[in-house]
Amino acid sequence: MDEFDFARSVTVGQYVPGTSVLHRLDPRAKLAAFVIVLAAIITSDSYIGNVVGLSAALGLVALAGIPVGYVLSGVRPIVPILVVFTVFNFLFLGNYDPTGSAVLWRQPVALGPYEFNFTVTESSMKQTVQGVVRIIALIVLTSTLTLTTTITGLAKGIETLLAPFRRVKVPGHEAAMVIAIAYRFVPTVADELERLMKAQASRGADFGRPGRLRFVKRARQMIPITVPLFVGAFRRAERLIMAMESRCYIGGKGRTPITLPALGRRDWTAIASAAVFTLAVWNVPWPL
Amino acid sequence: MSEKVVEIQDLWHWYLRGTPLQTVALQGAELEIQSDDLAAIMGHTGSGKSSLIQHLNGILRPHRGTVRVFGNDLADPKLDVRPLRRMVGLVFQQPEMQLFDPTVGDDVAFGPRQLGGTPEEVRRRVRTAMERVGLSFEGFKDRYTFGLSGGEMRRVALAGVLALEPRLLVLDEPTAGLDPRGRRQLLESLRTIHAEGEMAVVIVSHDMDVVAELARRVWVLAGGRTVMRGSVREIFARVEELRELGLGIPQVSELAYELRRAGRDVRADVLTADELAEALWTNSTSPAA
Repeated sequence: MDEFDFARSVTVGQYVPGTSVLHRLDPRAKLAAFVIVLAAIITSDSYIGNVVGLSAALGLVALAGIPVGYVLSGVRPIVPILVVFTVFNFLFLGNYDPTGSAVLWRQPVALGPYEFNFTVTESSMKQTVQGVVRIIALIVLTSTLTLTTTITGLAKGIETLLAPFRRVKVPGHEAAMVIAIAYRFVPTVADELERLMKAQASRGADFGRPGRLRFVKRARQMIPITVPLFVGAFRRAERLIMAMESRCYIGGKGRTPITLPALGRRDWTAIASAAVFTLAVWNVPWPL
Repeated sequence: MSEKVVEIQDLWHWYLRGTPLQTVALQGAELEIQSDDLAAIMGHTGSGKSSLIQHLNGILRPHRGTVRVFGNDLADPKLDVRPLRRMVGLVFQQPEMQLFDPTVGDDVAFGPRQLGGTPEEVRRRVRTAMERVGLSFEGFKDRYTFGLSGGEMRRVALAGVLALEPRLLVLDEPTAGLDPRGRRQLLESLRTIHAEGEMAVVIVSHDMDVVAELARRVWVLAGGRTVMRGSVREIFARVEELRELGLGIPQVSELAYELRRAGRDVRADVLTADELAEALWTNSTSPAA
């Protein structure tokens, strides 16, 4: 892997052009279907149900014609957090198990004046494993959505889905705009970061590893990067405001779309399949 | 004595290699730089100029082909590129964006401090570098970096690289976005730096007038390949080929070319207004003469 190739590990906010079914779905329908599948993944209460959820997410990646390895590379940056989270959950969650399920392992530990237990119960074990599977499935699923949908499509989808809540003063259009802008700038900022690291490395900065625990040194190494990165981000934000104002942007009030195609048969099929999938995951009596 | 300091042969590089967004940036590029060179790399946007020069100090590594810089083989994954980055000073596009320290002197001192010299040595390097780009050390070292004009910020950034005292200085689009005065001052500084004889200078540009004014040797890239090489006069005499590549020629060369097409007997390789005047004067076949 190349030393400064960051864009590679940023899969969030990227769009991979294609002609698959997923690419061609109406973004409103796609978003609805993804939210429905998401519900299945985060609520399923069984090992097999979660694995089925993950498999479905990976199946969608295949359907979109995107290499699975590329999507999984988006998981890599959070692996350290995931490991810490899992270890702690595994060792301690059982202490607070409210379900009273069977204790599989208990180990009292004395650390100087402190005494506590490592406890693993059936239910805490399940929550730990499910936590990992769910997070990976969530990342895969959301990456698949963004990798196959243009930002404008996504914004329109979010706006449509939030439209019913306008009555209770939810600013659907504004929320969609904020999300779209944030997404749009993830790859831009990653590019900028890459450029700055290259530039500072070219005048002697060393981003090698000073040792994992030398936080102060690591943080100081980052100053030549973070300062110009933020200066650039603010400058870009100001330019964006100027550009929007000079186009008379005033938010969503009174704004109408130039095209408003009705959902086609393909779109309704997608939503229906997602609903069937989620109901199945909920209602099948999984043995584990 | 001049020696070959850069030798690039059949260089290939892909961006985002191994992802669905993979694109080829270089496919068989070549480049040679002598230790006393004053060279330019020209090419259309997307021709691979920036990718090529990022190989010179190991920011990018070759995916295929050979890159030798000061005797280091960049294709060797075990090569430590840090010493190389001190010998090759790379100034990126819009380098004023990379400034980070509130005071000018400290920003220029970033590189020398990383090298770990004594405070006196750092001070000497900062002073020399700032004066080389036409910023007086006393007048500017305590100025607020982000309050400078665009042209001044660019010269501060250039000084930040010069303070490493490299043996090869590479600049990507050094004059882009500068006003005429900033441009003239920058070119003047570069000419002086080269004339001092300690550095080879390579600029990347698609401004033909800058190339004609500064460079002696020219490399032309197109589609990630090296398609033309030669002295600046030879290259700008090949007008049709350059136009074919979507590149222009310096205004004076353009005028000479049009005059020749209109039937005047003008040499093909004029670069400056004075040369053109002289060529018109001596070779004039106009009936009025």
